Amino acid sequence: MAARLAADAVVIGTGAGGAPVAATLAEAGMDTLVLEAGPRIGTDDFTGEEGEMMARLYRLDVAPGSGMALYAGECVGGSTVINDALCFRPPPEILDEWVDAYGLGALAPSALAPFVEQAWHDVHAEPTDRAHTSRNAARLAAGAERLGWSGNATPRNVIGCANLGLCNLGCPTGAKQSTLLTYVPRAERAGARVLAGTRAERILIEGGRVRAVEVVIVDPTTRAVRERARVETPLVCVAAGVLGTPALLQQSGLRAGDGVQFHSSLHVTARFAEPIHGYYGPTMAYAVDELSDVNGHAGPGVMIESVSAHPVATAGALPGFGAAHEALMRRLAHYARALVVIRDRTRGRIGSDGAVDHTLEASDLERLRAGMAAAARAYLAAGAIEVHVPVSGSVPLRTDADCARFAADPLAASALTSLYAVHLFGGARMAARPDAGVCDERGACFGVRGLYVADAAGLPSSTGVNPQITIMANALRIGAAVVHEARTA
Amino acid sequence: MMAPDAMAPLVRAGAGLERRAFLRLAGALVAAGCVPAGCGGVPSRWQPGPAVRLRVLSPRAYATFSAAAARIVGPSGGAMIEQRVVDVASVADGLLARAPALAGPLGQALAVLEFGVWPLVAKIRPFTGLGPHAQDAVLDDLMRSRWTLKRQLVGGVRSLALLAFYTQPQSRVISGYPGPFGSERIPIGAAMVGAADTS
Repeated sequence: MAARLAADAVVIGTGAGGAPVAATLAEAGMDTLVLEAGPRIGTDDFTGEEGEMMARLYRLDVAPGSGMALYAGECVGGSTVINDALCFRPPPEILDEWVDAYGLGALAPSALAPFVEQAWHDVHAEPTDRAHTSRNAARLAAGAERLGWSGNATPRNVIGCANLGLCNLGCPTGAKQSTLLTYVPRAERAGARVLAGTRAERILIEGGRVRAVEVVIVDPTTRAVRERARVETPLVCVAAGVLGTPALLQQSGLRAGDGVQFHSSLHVTARFAEPIHGYYGPTMAYAVDELSDVNGHAGPGVMIESVSAHPVATAGALPGFGAAHEALMRRLAHYARALVVIRDRTRGRIGSDGAVDHTLEASDLERLRAGMAAAARAYLAAGAIEVHVPVSGSVPLRTDADCARFAADPLAASALTSLYAVHLFGGARMAARPDAGVCDERGACFGVRGLYVADAAGLPSSTGVNPQITIMANALRIGAAVVHEARTA
Repeated sequence: MMAPDAMAPLVRAGAGLERRAFLRLAGALVAAGCVPAGCGGVPSRWQPGPAVRLRVLSPRAYATFSAAAARIVGPSGGAMIEQRVVDVASVADGLLARAPALAGPLGQALAVLEFGVWPLVAKIRPFTGLGPHAQDAVLDDLMRSRWTLKRQLVGGVRSLALLAFYTQPQSRVISGYPGPFGSERIPIGAAMVGAADTS
């Protein structure tokens, strides 16, 4: 017989959405049970070894139609454990769009601002200073400056960063202020119970009200099901991420899964004569926003961000094989790398089984091509010898003319050799009306009392910037609304 | 770190291969026993050792992958694979066991690489039975092909080989990567603005 538990509230997920809600509810005195599908791995267990940490911390899904890898953190702390620590406030244009197109007045810039500042403070977002400026980031910055492009060192949520370049393997010094080190301990200090390795399978809804959550307890290594349990509760906040929340809602009998959007991403790799040692330094620390279409920019919707040049990722990005590839890898210390990330227009769907139906539109392919060409231009302006782009059959770009030719040539989707996304949005979006979304602006699911969506699945569209602060601010706002309603009910 | 993009080329090739009816046919032939899963006729240096416990790959796929990876990573890494200093096929088997969506198409791609013949693959003998130069010629033909299928076929194997090899600390003698926490010769500070050049 399945074990039975009970709580005033259940929060599903411990990432940027779940952990702030859990802390808010627990600090308001609610008996809060927090479910996390992944294992709890502490700072001392972050080894920095690529293969091991990838296997222990990440969830990998595939969007077959786009040939895109989709990643999320699957551990206590969720994707905040494996993100690059970049902090951006939500762009006002995006919030205005959510107000205008979806009727979400509570997300107007002035209304959301207090929660944004609270999240900013809670996770210790701070400017990146010269002591944390890597040669890798400096090359991209130099290129942008020489081209007269707009760019900035990016704020990060760190305290005492040691520049190891391991942000997305789990920070082994505890410098990165993921929710594992911020909101989760706060929730626990306030009495919340966190059950790691516990996956929610279905929310039981009877008579239009939440009654319980059915869960399975999984093996931390193999993820095989060990035990089943049921948690009695009148209130559930779902924050299982875009790869989890829409599917869970559908498995619970709700309509969800539409309108999923990504920030499609790929990398360019530049070789310099001098050593860069791009495997160290903050994994990301500088962003070119010249081609962005938010925060006052009118570009095509592309961000170019410096990113670490570790061996495995670099090996996959360099062309050829055999002796020629080995020769390129012997120059690993000389590579700088940049992430080209676009604000997609493509929308897809996540099914009840988690299958992702998503085919990249031609306009997004154009954005990726423009971004690659721009990143290559920036590196060449900074003195790079050559720049590799992840396009089958392409030759290294060595001159501005090469970049111009590359930008002008048609790019077939099948020619891209690498494409992925870690910023995922939607699938259970907020809207003013049930025919336009899954939940209202409080995150409350239409037609079900006691069920809230508190993560990026509730956001109506992509943000155009790294989204953790936006997700946290929205979760804090929803948590406050849930507490208010519980007290007044 | 193995940033998310480290797996992306493999996923991209795997997803492309998954859509190929031809490869599904190859998978069905393997499953039906029409294509050998054992290592009869395969040089012993590519066969799994007695201690190897495979979860996804067949012994034949293990051997094919080892042989292909040895050519893909280059002469120094290839020697490590051949001398079993690095067991890339076991690493790949573990990776595929955690990514079931990729295991099928990659296994099928290895079957085609081993048993496929001209005009799909430029050879008439099993890949593991070819000499190094002939193996290089096969890989080169696939990588330069105008056919997306052929590029994806070798692209998946290439991505998995590089992933499996460069996650191993032994590969650092080639890449010069000092490891996650720096070294005496290349400390973390060498990567920061203002540091003296250290190559």
